[in-house]
Amino acid sequence: MKKILMTALLLSASASAAKLQVYPYDGAQFVPGQHFDLRIEAEDVKDFKDAVITLDGKAVTGLVKTTSKDTSVEWTVRAQSLGVGTHTLSVTFTDAGGPVTKTAKWTVAATRPEGFQSLFYKPKAKNVILFIADGLGWNTVNAAKLVAYPYNPANGTPTGKLAMETGLSSMATVTTSSFDSALADSANTASSIATGQKIQVNALNVYPDNTADTLDNPRVETITAMLKRSMGKSVGLVSSAFGTDATPAAFASYTRRRGDYQAIADQYFKGDVKPDVLLIGGSRDFIPSTAPGSRRKDTTDWIDGSQKLGYQFVSTRTELNAATGSKLFGLFNIDNIPSYLDRAQYKGKETLGDFTDMPFLWDSTKKAVETLDKNPNGFFLMVEAGMVDKYEHPLDWQRAVWDVLELDKAVAWAKDYAKTHPDTLILVTADHAHSLSVYGGYDATKGPGKREAVGVYEKAGFPTYGDQRDANGFPLPETSRTYAVGFAATPDYCETYLGRPQFLDPTVSNGKTGAEAGFVPNPKICAEGAVQRIGNLDPASAQGVHTADPLPLFAFGPGAENFSGVIDQTEIFFGIARAMGLDARTNK
Amino acid sequence: MNRRTILKLLGAAPVSWWLNRASAQATATVKFSELYGRVTVRGVEYSSKLKALSGQKVTMSGYMAPPLKPKLDFFVLTREPMATCPFCTTAADWPADIVLVIMPDGKELEPSVRGLTVTGRLDVGVKKDDETGFVSLVRLYADRVQSA
Repeated sequence: MKKILMTALLLSASASAAKLQVYPYDGAQFVPGQHFDLRIEAEDVKDFKDAVITLDGKAVTGLVKTTSKDTSVEWTVRAQSLGVGTHTLSVTFTDAGGPVTKTAKWTVAATRPEGFQSLFYKPKAKNVILFIADGLGWNTVNAAKLVAYPYNPANGTPTGKLAMETGLSSMATVTTSSFDSALADSANTASSIATGQKIQVNALNVYPDNTADTLDNPRVETITAMLKRSMGKSVGLVSSAFGTDATPAAFASYTRRRGDYQAIADQYFKGDVKPDVLLIGGSRDFIPSTAPGSRRKDTTDWIDGSQKLGYQFVSTRTELNAATGSKLFGLFNIDNIPSYLDRAQYKGKETLGDFTDMPFLWDSTKKAVETLDKNPNGFFLMVEAGMVDKYEHPLDWQRAVWDVLELDKAVAWAKDYAKTHPDTLILVTADHAHSLSVYGGYDATKGPGKREAVGVYEKAGFPTYGDQRDANGFPLPETSRTYAVGFAATPDYCETYLGRPQFLDPTVSNGKTGAEAGFVPNPKICAEGAVQRIGNLDPASAQGVHTADPLPLFAFGPGAENFSGVIDQTEIFFGIARAMGLDARTNK
Repeated sequence: MNRRTILKLLGAAPVSWWLNRASAQATATVKFSELYGRVTVRGVEYSSKLKALSGQKVTMSGYMAPPLKPKLDFFVLTREPMATCPFCTTAADWPADIVLVIMPDGKELEPSVRGLTVTGRLDVGVKKDDETGFVSLVRLYADRVQSA
């Protein structure tokens, strides 16, 4: 009998134990008072017995227990927050597989002086203007500078720098990663800037969970929500991409799936940020499903709905520049706002259609600031050059780089604004990089796609950008000597070295499906005259990809010292919090 | 293999079925640039030409979007060759000027990367496909699909 008992005990002990997950993850960092949802998930559960869940040794209250499937148990409590210090969450879980314990340590660092010193404290930055160029690696910034300020052909000396590179208060190199991967996408990287957390690819400001619902994941509060909640600041979001795209969405919404466009659009007006200024593309997510061209599945109309909420609605550059409302909602295209080159130089009817009066990024930046700075508590404005990435993906470096020039003019305007508003911190950075590189010069007089027209080292010569300029003073991409620019990570494609007035995808489907599905170089580009290049990406890749390359961060004004050296992207969040003195333990 | 046979129809329809159907009436040609009148942030307005031709037989030329499956009873016709599959991702930055082509009952098409000319009945209006969830604004109920 004793032997039988022993065997039973051994069997029980050797049965596989339940697997525990705790969110926020072990090692998470927060600012004081930042809200987060606590979630504990046990998987492979057999005959659940009990669980003891403590935070810093005290039982956690308010937990709601669920069993989302037969073999799991979960506990959730939302909107928790912590004070300064190190905190430990402990879970001791027992089921037929035996006891399992898991701990997660979280750190909350002070963002402003505590105690007596707090009496004399005044935050350095009242306002923050955060410029994010999607896909702006160091090389992409440099390519923009090379185009805008070609070297003096007499002696090779520089003729100038971008506004974002000039008069810096501080500078950093930023590295990126995801919760679930070394590589990153625009959703989780923007979320890292917005929340200070590592987030899964394609997720916005939420931790993983074990349910299929993408909108119920544990959330972590954004800097924009906290600045509104605890400091009464105004928030503005500007993007040249469609407005529910990942970067603007990361500053005002929460979802496991960045493609939840309708939910993101709704959160803009019903969520915890409710930006006071929203100037974006992509109206299709804001118009009712009954309107041809809508991407919504319901009849909600945010053009009308926003006005009922007190927003002034604008849809053209003319209307924007004339706007005087205290809250602004601008939709300037049904989709992405086309590239600077398409709007200002090529002006192709097929690209622009009826959208012939779209604002430049500097128009939107200026109007956003003018609207937000009516708030005596200050403001946070995020301005995204969203199309840089969208043209790097299809290897169209000209459209990408000229959109950086457009951004730079917006940065120049902001720097001017800060001269008369010295309590404004300006940051210019990116979410992730692409594999763009300038490797030579190209003799454009020989036409597209000629390898022998590529000059390297001393034969690169001096490109001639700026011999002709557009109405904004920007050079034309068409000049006799251009840069040779390429991407390290590509599908099979045809390299022409030169741009084209009408955008073309670099690849087209091979017409096959399933395991055979793949992409071939776009025959229209190949027909221009091109070098056919064998790609190095998975054959299922239609375009270029994000890289793990580092990003620049340029900082101007008060609090800029919080951004220096080689930093992880999450440190941008904490740097902004320190610069603004954000302590979210109190509500305003 | 003759290049035209790449688009061979599956199923048992005799060639004469196509010839008879195709020659039955003269058809108007619609270009992609003629689909819409104004496109504003409030949505897409159909062109008067499209509205006038709705329900009638028309011909359009374009390219097949990356297909969903190896045998197609429907596909998306686009102005330019595309790398984006409209059914494969909810995140597609998909152009507005696309046309859903529905093959006749029992007829299926093999995927193609060539330019295509489609003749069929034009149908205009917002319509959601229950199976795929794909929302289309303009549809062609095809009689005939040829490589251009």
